Amino acid sequence: MGVFPAQYPKEILWALDIVPAEIWDPPLQITSASAHLQSYICSVVQLGLELILQGKCKFLDGFLFPHTCDSIQNMASIIFDYIKADKPCYFFYHPKAPYGGSARDFYLQQLKDLADALADHFGPLHMSAVKERVQQGQHISRLVEDLYSLRAQDRLRLSNEEFYGLIRQGEYLFPDDWIPLLETHLNRDRGKPDKLLTPVILSGVLPNPPELLTLLDDLGVLVAYDDFLNGSRRLLVPGNDFKEPFEQLTEAYFAMPPCSTRGSSIERRRDYLFKMIDATGAKGVIFNVVKFCEPEWFDVPSLQEGLKKRGIPSLTLDTELNQGLSGQMTTRVEAFIETLNKG
Amino acid sequence: MSLYQSARYHFMKDVGAPALLSLQKMRKKKPPRKPSPYLGPPLKCAGRLREIMTRHYYLSRYAPGAKPVAWVTSGAPVELLRVFDFYTVYPENHGALCGARMMGPEICSEAEARGYHPDLCSYARIDLGHAFSGKTPAGRLPRPDLLYCSNNICQTVLYWFKALSHYWDIPLILFDTPYNFEEIRDRDIRYMVSQFEEMIPELERISGTKFSETHFQKTISLARKSSVRWGEVLGTMKNRPAPMSIFDAFVHLAPIVSLRGLPVSMEYYDLLLNELRERVKSGIGAVTNERKRLMWDNIAVWFKLRDWSHLFAERGFNFVAATYTNAWAETIHYLDEKSPFESMARAYSLVILNNNLNHRLNLMERMIKDYQVDGLVVHSDRSCKPYSVGQYDLKRLLAERLDVKSVVIEADMTDSRVYSEEQARTRLEAFFEALEGEGKA
Repeated sequence: MGVFPAQYPKEILWALDIVPAEIWDPPLQITSASAHLQSYICSVVQLGLELILQGKCKFLDGFLFPHTCDSIQNMASIIFDYIKADKPCYFFYHPKAPYGGSARDFYLQQLKDLADALADHFGPLHMSAVKERVQQGQHISRLVEDLYSLRAQDRLRLSNEEFYGLIRQGEYLFPDDWIPLLETHLNRDRGKPDKLLTPVILSGVLPNPPELLTLLDDLGVLVAYDDFLNGSRRLLVPGNDFKEPFEQLTEAYFAMPPCSTRGSSIERRRDYLFKMIDATGAKGVIFNVVKFCEPEWFDVPSLQEGLKKRGIPSLTLDTELNQGLSGQMTTRVEAFIETLNKG
Repeated sequence: MSLYQSARYHFMKDVGAPALLSLQKMRKKKPPRKPSPYLGPPLKCAGRLREIMTRHYYLSRYAPGAKPVAWVTSGAPVELLRVFDFYTVYPENHGALCGARMMGPEICSEAEARGYHPDLCSYARIDLGHAFSGKTPAGRLPRPDLLYCSNNICQTVLYWFKALSHYWDIPLILFDTPYNFEEIRDRDIRYMVSQFEEMIPELERISGTKFSETHFQKTISLARKSSVRWGEVLGTMKNRPAPMSIFDAFVHLAPIVSLRGLPVSMEYYDLLLNELRERVKSGIGAVTNERKRLMWDNIAVWFKLRDWSHLFAERGFNFVAATYTNAWAETIHYLDEKSPFESMARAYSLVILNNNLNHRLNLMERMIKDYQVDGLVVHSDRSCKPYSVGQYDLKRLLAERLDVKSVVIEADMTDSRVYSEEQARTRLEAFFEALEGEGKA
């Protein structure tokens, strides 16, 4: 099933033996999507629509559209109402913060509705399978958390590019296939490194353009932690021991790290960044923000101000997906890292 | 609330504001602009509207300390706040005012200097720019005690109000309306009703006023009646010639947006409706020689309002319908004092921008037929993603279904820096030619 960004209960899909294939940044030239979308719409949405228009989703059995932002919301409607995708479309609305108590009941009901809708087409859905997949999801969260923790100390000896290559395989691998990969890397704890890299934190939607990761590798920089929408914000979900699996998923949603697309307050986001900095000793933060991404861009100035007050340097990059790094951007990153190394 | 500030507010309300309005009337007026031969006589009500809005902005300066002050988004269910006697200020209305006074770029720049990206919504940048610099054509806006928003018009208002909430360290209440990808569901209504129930203790705490069901029901009833009246005002444009234009309606919608649920909005629309009915009886049109009737999609381009009203009128083209002005007439009539919370949830969830694009397509098709529209002008508004994403398809589908001529203008509601006059003129000229060419072949 083709799944658009960002947060959705993948455990329910797994329980139905559906493989979620997440659509974040397919490597395409935008040609057909511009007949439907204005040039001021972000490249996540442009590329997602382009993938469908170029006929590259024929192998999929359906689409799932989480309600992430205005642009994804309307793109979903374009696909469902106007282009009329020839396969089932599912929608998932998650409540936005600041939450009242009713948000919890609503989310729980949303999970059940999505499960029923998917089961109608791909079922039957057995609660034992949901339970098993929820436990598996919690197991993955723990593995990813351990990986992030070792990564922060550079004990995995993976380059930035390799690390995100591994993490991003979770966007399309079935958990049974992803878990062994994660475990293999976890078992390769190589102890403390001899050479210390410069630790930084990356914040934004996703680690694209990939050239940024390569450049950071070349500059001796370790991405010690991230605050990516497709990274820590949705992967590092604390576990809980509710007996009923939908309750477990509900609890997990409200315990996720703060995120702009869920309406989390700036204070919570700032404190989350501080926590990461304290835990990793990161010397600076790079906001790598996709052009036209409103949820992210609104938070950046206040977050930068908060970091400045704590004496943490930050850099903001305005990037288009898959467009590489311009010479000017490269110079800015180099200069920023140089400042960090001098500090 | 402070006694001194309360006394000052009431003094300004009873003495200061009337004195200001009298002074304004007495002040030597600028010589009237030369009347355009293409436009009908201006609406007499416009003077009364100016008085109402001047008074509203003037009194807002004295509200802090006397009344709780809330900044509210245009789609938020303000009826609930009225029960707690909040003085409400609408940043979007203020943004429109700044745009019309050509101050958009200057105030946006204040936000940009603080790191807010120029690609962000210009209403938000104006509002944040005003918060940082105090710049406004309205004298001074009161600092709020509460930020009250609903994401039924966009998610942007939530991001924007979050930034304000952080800057001022004041509470933010969100009315979260699940987007209607398909039909609205009972469980969505239940979720929204529960949110109202959760808000009440918080609003009581902030305002120091107890919730009154009777007051709430009266407010709901008044809001519904004024919305119905606003719908009737817009409905007069079904006549040929239309007694007003959408350029007028963009201005005259201020009370239904900003003063909804207050008696003054109802009084004003009674007055306006009477004047429009008189004009219909006398055959007075907003455009002297109405030849073609147009529809507008999206928020107004506030800094082009005057120019474009002339540009279209001189060709005998009149805008008689707009999805934007219709938004405050389309669903608020669902309000029902017998089931105030449920009806309010329904009314605010079903607004155009919280509904799927199929709904918008059907609505526009209906409006084109009802208002006998010959052409459609689509404002692709760089600032407003939920209004703009999907417009290219809407244009195509309406052309297929109704053979209606249309044009897309790339612009912004207030930030003139991203607008190209040359490009817009070229497109409009081609559109005018296409419209004129109709029926000639």
